[in-house]
Amino acid sequence: MDASERIQAASKFLLQSPPGEINDVLNDVRNIISDDASLQEGVLPALQEYNLAQFIVADVPGSGHQSIVSDAAQLEGEEGEERFWDPRSRTSFRFDHLSLEASDSKPVEADNESEPFRAALESSTLTYLAAHFHDGVASVFSKTGSSTEFTIQIVANKYNPSNFWAGRWRSEYIVDLAGKKVAGKILVNVHYYEQGNVQLETKHTISFPLPPTISVSSPNTSNSKILALIEDEEGKFQTALNDVYHEMSEKTFKGLRRALPLTRQKLDWDKVMGYKLGAELSASNKGVFGGNGS
Amino acid sequence: MGDLVDSMLDLMRRLPPTHVEENVAALVGICPDYADDLLGSVDQPLKLRTDRSTGREYLACDYNRDGESYRSPWSNEYEPPLDDGTVPTPRLRQLEIKANEAFDTYREMYYEGGVSSVFLWDLDDGGFAGVVLLKKALVPTTPTEPSGSWDSIHVFEAAERGRQAHYKLTSTIMLQLVTRSNSDSPPDNGPFKKAAPEPVGSGSGARKEGEVSLSGSMTRQTEQDWPLQNQESHIANTGRMIEEMEIKMRNLLQEVYFGKTRDVVFDLRSIESLERARRQRELQKELVGFIKR
Repeated sequence: MDASERIQAASKFLLQSPPGEINDVLNDVRNIISDDASLQEGVLPALQEYNLAQFIVADVPGSGHQSIVSDAAQLEGEEGEERFWDPRSRTSFRFDHLSLEASDSKPVEADNESEPFRAALESSTLTYLAAHFHDGVASVFSKTGSSTEFTIQIVANKYNPSNFWAGRWRSEYIVDLAGKKVAGKILVNVHYYEQGNVQLETKHTISFPLPPTISVSSPNTSNSKILALIEDEEGKFQTALNDVYHEMSEKTFKGLRRALPLTRQKLDWDKVMGYKLGAELSASNKGVFGGNGS
Repeated sequence: MGDLVDSMLDLMRRLPPTHVEENVAALVGICPDYADDLLGSVDQPLKLRTDRSTGREYLACDYNRDGESYRSPWSNEYEPPLDDGTVPTPRLRQLEIKANEAFDTYREMYYEGGVSSVFLWDLDDGGFAGVVLLKKALVPTTPTEPSGSWDSIHVFEAAERGRQAHYKLTSTIMLQLVTRSNSDSPPDNGPFKKAAPEPVGSGSGARKEGEVSLSGSMTRQTEQDWPLQNQESHIANTGRMIEEMEIKMRNLLQEVYFGKTRDVVFDLRSIESLERARRQRELQKELVGFIKR
């Protein structure tokens, strides 16, 4: 493999990192590639792609809250400068994809037309977040140049390296007021790695229509209705996941290997051997084990 | 450079088990000098092959591989054929034949299907080693039925000590379960109202598509001494050890796959409102305080 192929392989490894383990994967990759100079530059795009796709959170400078760094948060900066937007604090910041630190905060002027609805949606989302997620972070973005499209993003992480497990919940909903519909996805990843490597990965996409009463002109009632629908869908997803767990455990797992044979007893290995041994004994070498008095 | 192999193994312990083959291939591409170390230490899903002379299926892995060819436990032949392929000594081959018969019975009793293969090889110190492989896959009959596969790899070393034998066993089980679902849940109209217009409202007209995948592997080791009456005792001894290990690991897999990973999901998000739960706890505390008074 030449240098660029090695960087490409390293990038692929990074993009597969389980929740909260990107630094462990990066350390392994550094050892394996053992070329820090080219690695540092080379894997930066992969780190950025990973952070955006995984809804990595940033401590928004001076705000006391966290916001999600994602495609929806990306601002078109001047001269190719990458900045992320936190509508809640009305600021933007620079984000270091390696250290995961936010810096250089600047005010962002809100769009008068979409801001009232966005702010109300954000407030409902934060209430919903507190009601169902233990360590969740949510961001609500309005779409540039549109006053009828909003993106809700939610992420919850639990990292427990001392007990060898980690988990991440991501969900995203694109609220389209003009089209009267919501398109969403829920992605859950769990990694359990005590003397093994077991991973749960779920991909779930949903779309549902919005009731006709929902409109930009009634931000407060509309938004609590939207979040009630989302709450319902996420609850249904979790219940369905429970059913899938049950079916996999009761049907598939049992169908692969029985806990005990039909006899409800462990094998009698002397007998298992005996069949073959017996057949062989009578066929050829009588007297080796069974011979008495010859 | 043991350090490097450690890093590769740590990496494989973290990356998704569903991509183990392509990730191992990528690592071999980066560090071709360590290919043998890596292929010998990272378990990959067993491959099904068919013995050309007997028509029987067997399992292929790194332990019955010589170059690009794999040895069948049924005919003892390599496919593609090799003139100088490594085979066990005639004495060990006799034991290997019997071990394959015994574990085939074991497979039928526990798996009620699937394929098994046992391979033995001589060790330089006079002992021998072997691998017992078992694989079963469930192919769904409908698109929404879960699919699953189970691969067992039991590697052991046997050292005879007079009338006793000492065994070292390393067992890995790879388990993969996948469920796909797809629902265009139309409004619940009942059979006679098919033509009714779709009402727009909560919960109706929702479209969902999903996939749940639980996959991975777990490894455990054990060392035991067993009495030795004759050569065949090795089969019964390793048989009991492997049976015990599979029972233990099956319980462990059940606990991790369907218990631990599920608990993490419900730890991330609670179906019940946390606010309501908090209020209930406070109410309870108040009540307890009230009773104590």
